[in-house]
Amino acid sequence: MLRTHCPASRLGINLLHLTPASLSVSQMPVAEGKSVQQTVELLTRKLEMLGAEKQGTFCVDCETYHTAASTLGSQGQTGKLMYVMHNSEYPLSCFALFENGPCLIADTNFDVLMVKLKGFFQSAKASKIETRGTRYQYCDFLVKVGTVTMGPSARGISVEVEYGPCVVASDCWNLLLEFLQSFLGSHTPGAPTVFGNRHDTVYGPADTMVQYMELFNKIRKQQQVPVAGIR
Amino acid sequence: MEAPPVTMMPVTGGTINMMEYLLQGSVLDHSLESLIHRLRGLCDNMELETFLDHEMVFLLKGQQASPFVLRARRSMDRAGAPWHLRYLGQPEVGDKNRHALVRNCVDIATSENLTDFLMEMGFRMDHEFVAKGHLFRKGIMKIMVYKIYRILVPGNTESIEALSLSYLVELSVVAPAGQDMVSDDMRNFAEQLKPLVHLEKIDPKRLM
Repeated sequence: MLRTHCPASRLGINLLHLTPASLSVSQMPVAEGKSVQQTVELLTRKLEMLGAEKQGTFCVDCETYHTAASTLGSQGQTGKLMYVMHNSEYPLSCFALFENGPCLIADTNFDVLMVKLKGFFQSAKASKIETRGTRYQYCDFLVKVGTVTMGPSARGISVEVEYGPCVVASDCWNLLLEFLQSFLGSHTPGAPTVFGNRHDTVYGPADTMVQYMELFNKIRKQQQVPVAGIR
Repeated sequence: MEAPPVTMMPVTGGTINMMEYLLQGSVLDHSLESLIHRLRGLCDNMELETFLDHEMVFLLKGQQASPFVLRARRSMDRAGAPWHLRYLGQPEVGDKNRHALVRNCVDIATSENLTDFLMEMGFRMDHEFVAKGHLFRKGIMKIMVYKIYRILVPGNTESIEALSLSYLVELSVVAPAGQDMVSDDMRNFAEQLKPLVHLEKIDPKRLM
């Protein structure tokens, strides 16, 4: 169907991570009258009919930390939320970010450091959120459909689409959009905000994690999916 | 609030506690050549390895008595190398027979925006310096012979001034907690460097 070519872009490899291709993360609303699992099955079936091949699983998780009250007093600033995330696509890395702030890419020893920082940064245990699902490869596209869960409850569906050959987001947004429409139909999202700010810069893993953080925050604020729908 | 002492806990929360074993000494500038010559003979390095690093020490103050210290280090002569973030715990008060200073350490490789990120977390830079010298390896032991330079204008690593007329010599090993025979191997190696340099266990608290 969609045989595509994008002008070959340089893929940079450095010590910590592979520069990924341009990528969009969005939320798929649960279909009317269906459960989260049934909607995920609808999507994956559509992908398989398109000709996509299953290629293992993926997981993206996010833990939220807030500055402990004892630190706030002396700093004179309002508490900030820090997100520590992991992405199975980068198993040796850990991502730490602030909303509208810098995103640090570190190795997994960062998690050990957070344990040492227990007195200064507290994690809200109940706020751990993750998405897990299957990876599908379709030509130059990599699609990941995941079930977003907080604890035992399924709270929504995440859809990630990556276009391999292109590292400059603005060059291939239209192409990504066309592909998204072919299987999401009317639920196709708008351009991610990370694309908007810097038109010609190279896309990186930090941009992906920012998109997931925004998605998780949106889902956290939404009403829970009715209990009957979770099976 | 520091984490509880780790020598008794080789594994905490699923991760292995790593300890840094350290011996330190110094040599005057004019003795540098002989020391380097001896080290070249004893160590594994085929080629002389030098380094030029810029280290910044950050503090996070809370209601606890002692602030949390983190060290951010970047290479000034190796383009593209990741930044290095290091946490060092309090020296373990232990066995007087233990030959080296032992403290919990966590080493993390990070992206270049480390200092911005630490500031966002609430850390503030306490001091910075430039370290320039040589690096040697023998098995798991690392030997560094370097000079510390004071940075005259904050943030400007071009104008630096040597702190003293000597070189700091450090023999260190990073190993999982509980491996005390490491300090015996270090002591044996240190013996071979006498009388050029006397490496000993120096408790930082005694200097303050």
